[in-house]
Amino acid sequence: MTPAFERLQKHLKQLPGLGYRSSERIALHLLVEKPGQLPALVLALEEAARAVRRCGRCGNLAESEYCAVCADDRRDRSVVCVVEHVPDLVAIERSGAYRGSYHVLHGKLSPIHGVGPDDLNLAALRARIEAGEVAELILALSNDVEGEATCHYLTEHLPAVAAGRSLSVTRIGFGLPSGGGVLYADSVTLKSALEGRRNYQ
Amino acid sequence: MRLRKLTLRHFRNVGFAALELKGRQQFLVGANGQGKTNLLEAAGFLTALRSFRAVDNKLLVGHGEHTAAIVCDLEHERQGETKVTIKLRHDGKELWCDNARVTRLADYLGKFPTVVFSSQDLQLVRGSPAGRRRWLDLTLAAMDAGYLRALQTFTRALAERNALLKRGVTGDAQLTAFELTLAPAAAELIRLRMAGLKALGATLKKNYAQLCDDAEPVGLVYDPNFAEASEEVLLARWAAGRARDAQFRTTLVGPHRDDFHFSVRHTAAKDYGSEGQQRSLVLALRLAQAGWFQEKSGIRPVLLADDVLGELDLARRRRFWAAIDPESQVIATGTSLPDAELGTWQVFGVADGDFTENTTTTEANA
Ligand SMILES: [Zn+2]
Repeated sequence: MTPAFERLQKHLKQLPGLGYRSSERIALHLLVEKPGQLPALVLALEEAARAVRRCGRCGNLAESEYCAVCADDRRDRSVVCVVEHVPDLVAIERSGAYRGSYHVLHGKLSPIHGVGPDDLNLAALRARIEAGEVAELILALSNDVEGEATCHYLTEHLPAVAAGRSLSVTRIGFGLPSGGGVLYADSVTLKSALEGRRNYQ
Repeated sequence: MRLRKLTLRHFRNVGFAALELKGRQQFLVGANGQGKTNLLEAAGFLTALRSFRAVDNKLLVGHGEHTAAIVCDLEHERQGETKVTIKLRHDGKELWCDNARVTRLADYLGKFPTVVFSSQDLQLVRGSPAGRRRWLDLTLAAMDAGYLRALQTFTRALAERNALLKRGVTGDAQLTAFELTLAPAAAELIRLRMAGLKALGATLKKNYAQLCDDAEPVGLVYDPNFAEASEEVLLARWAAGRARDAQFRTTLVGPHRDDFHFSVRHTAAKDYGSEGQQRSLVLALRLAQAGWFQEKSGIRPVLLADDVLGELDLARRRRFWAAIDPESQVIATGTSLPDAELGTWQVFGVADGDFTENTTTTEANA
């Protein structure tokens, strides 16, 4: 192996889900086996890095200030579904049962993994509530210890009343597989979970 | 339930073994350290995918090997002829039931009860609380998915709260968030342990009377670290203890510090019981565990007796034999064959991880 190859492999190995073997395989594939595809990949990476960012309102993927959901005037902005990650949002969109807006936390509280409130996309959520924009929060976090603790944290630490409007908080979880997240639920389960959401405490 | 065939590959010192088990009594005979206990350990693994020896699963995979396998062919009261395959790797385990992959422990638990009678069992009376908690958790979780769920939630939430304390996180917001998750699980654990120990204690008392002539009153006594099985009271206790917990960087109060003790004539058997009383108590406890498994699952457990028959004097051995369910399969180990009066055994000689069936029966030897 050459020094430049090893530098690339080291970077690949830091990506989620890739270990030493798989990063080695990918590096070999890119550089030696199919080098013809490399320029297109490099270009796509550069373009994506320039264009893609977090939505300024909800944290979803966006290519301008707001994401496609936030930019759509037909979506109900007073209802906000809080999810852990972007793929959870995608799964709920696919179920077709939801017409409100989202807020992506980009994680959940887990002191074991060093994730605290400051690591989550919370300030933007607080700002939305304090602006009086939100009437209902639907917490769609995983049905595990960390997801539950994050729900408790949000309920206790977000303003219950803002700009003269009281905030109702519900949680979906009914029907979701225990220990699993939104991502692993099928569309039918998600639809019934959204319809059957219960008042939080 | 009867174990009809046990196949092991790369399990501890056993490179490969395939034992066809006939009848209801099997005896593994050989010097110590040859692999007798390893075979019982593998059979016991079937119940809750845990070893009865408190070990890391890594140690179960043979030295220098990647995967260990345990295959059990069973005659089962409810499922007829069933095959369970367990594969153990350093980074996890895989479970197959009749060629279907099982991914949730809760879907599996409670179906394949075994009870191990071990020469180490005196430690349940004399040893540390951790050993007793381990036994209690395994006994209750093996037959109750609700207990397992409460235990898993509690353990995880406790680890998260302790991680906060270790990091020296100030402010109560995050602690509260995890305490709110911890409290219902803790209350459920305390409630189920209380009920479980009460039921197990009542059976232990009956079994003890069968094992001993002068049956003095015996029992199991729950010693909860915090006795109130109420979410609100637990929450208040943790909130009040935060400063002290922060100082020690760990959660000082809760069911993770629970214990129980054996009583003889209303005093602690650990301190006041004779060695004979203590031995009878652990036998009675294991019999109570077998009774509990049978009552909860409707399946007759397989009894695994690791080097216990040889340790009992003649009178106790007879009484013990009379106390066990005459229909249950018994797989026993020892350094020499048991007395002829304990019936006819299928005998396997064990040497250096190899198992060879002796074609002469114990009756012929006697
Ligand atoms: Zn957005």
